[in-house]
Amino acid sequence: MSPQPAHADLSLEEQLVAYLDGELDVEASRRVEELLATDPKVRQALQGLDRTWELLGELETPQVAERFAQSTLEMVAVAAAEDTERSRTDASRRRRRRWVILSASLLAAGAAGFLGMSLRPDPNRQLIDDLPLLENLDEYRQIGDIEFLRSLHKQGVFAEEGGDEK
Amino acid sequence: MAVSESSARRYSLGDPDVRLMLQVREDSASAFEELVLRYQGRLVTVLEHLVGSRDQADDLAQEVFLRVYRARKSYVAGAKFSTWLFTIANNVALNALRSRSRRHEVTLRSRDSGPLGARPLDVMLQASSGQMPARQLDKAEMRDIVRMALETLNERQRMAVLLSKFEGMSYADIAQTMELTPQAIKSLLSRARNNLREVLEPYFQHGNRPAAQNDP
Repeated sequence: MSPQPAHADLSLEEQLVAYLDGELDVEASRRVEELLATDPKVRQALQGLDRTWELLGELETPQVAERFAQSTLEMVAVAAAEDTERSRTDASRRRRRRWVILSASLLAAGAAGFLGMSLRPDPNRQLIDDLPLLENLDEYRQIGDIEFLRSLHKQGVFAEEGGDEK
Repeated sequence: MAVSESSARRYSLGDPDVRLMLQVREDSASAFEELVLRYQGRLVTVLEHLVGSRDQADDLAQEVFLRVYRARKSYVAGAKFSTWLFTIANNVALNALRSRSRRHEVTLRSRDSGPLGARPLDVMLQASSGQMPARQLDKAEMRDIVRMALETLNERQRMAVLLSKFEGMSYADIAQTMELTPQAIKSLLSRARNNLREVLEPYFQHGNRPAAQNDP
């Protein structure tokens, strides 16, 4: 066989096969034909390729069983039903998950609100605690000296009015 | 795969099977049945010669049709229908062959189809004892030899050869089906056909049977 390729990008074998398959352009085909006309080894190689290719026609083309189409359609129908069922289950699961997340979010928000409210200082608490003082504030102001008031407290002057007020 | 509107229109106008598939996309059961009927034989033929087992070829063909059905909603007319179908078939078959090779399962010699079956020599002996007509033996023997020669090719070479021989696909279509470049297909087919020639010519010249892929 001539080592001289007719097409620079392809090996001679590739050119011969592409020539047989009608995959060469006009110019490349013409070059192969020139080689075939002048080189008996190239011609022999081409004939060998062509002969063996034709032999593949001897391979059986199997007959498909009559039931094949029917059983294929049944299999696909079963699979499609399973797919539908699965997607319905998935949708229901997704819906349930959404409800669980929503409920959990509401609960968490409620708990956070309650916690926030209970931790926040109550402005009325201080007023209630200071109520005895506020009730007597005018009198305390008249005295003006906290140390004097403490000494009166120690002596029990305020005991009958409020018990243990400061 | 991005497909332009013009090529989608071209394929849906030019390929009746594309039009059927577009109906399948709209959940037409009768269009799907029509596609199964049109392609079942072609698909089983290619798959049987690719995987070497009729039963497995039937199973794989059904798997291919199932994938077609499941992919219907995302189908776009970006190629000939046969190219799209055999792309799926190629993937399904290669997965099956890889999984079989992982299991070290050897079935290529133990065929379940063909008149010669797994033991051509036995059949030849049967023929020589007068139980089989000579003409039938010649045909069957030839078929067996060709099949063994095909089995000497690797999976990709075999697929390219089958698509070219049985589907009459162009290099461009085979390239699209096998997700390779046309240049790679040119090389693949060239190697495959030269391998076939090397294996088969000694048989026809000297009567030497080719060694099967699994021969020790």
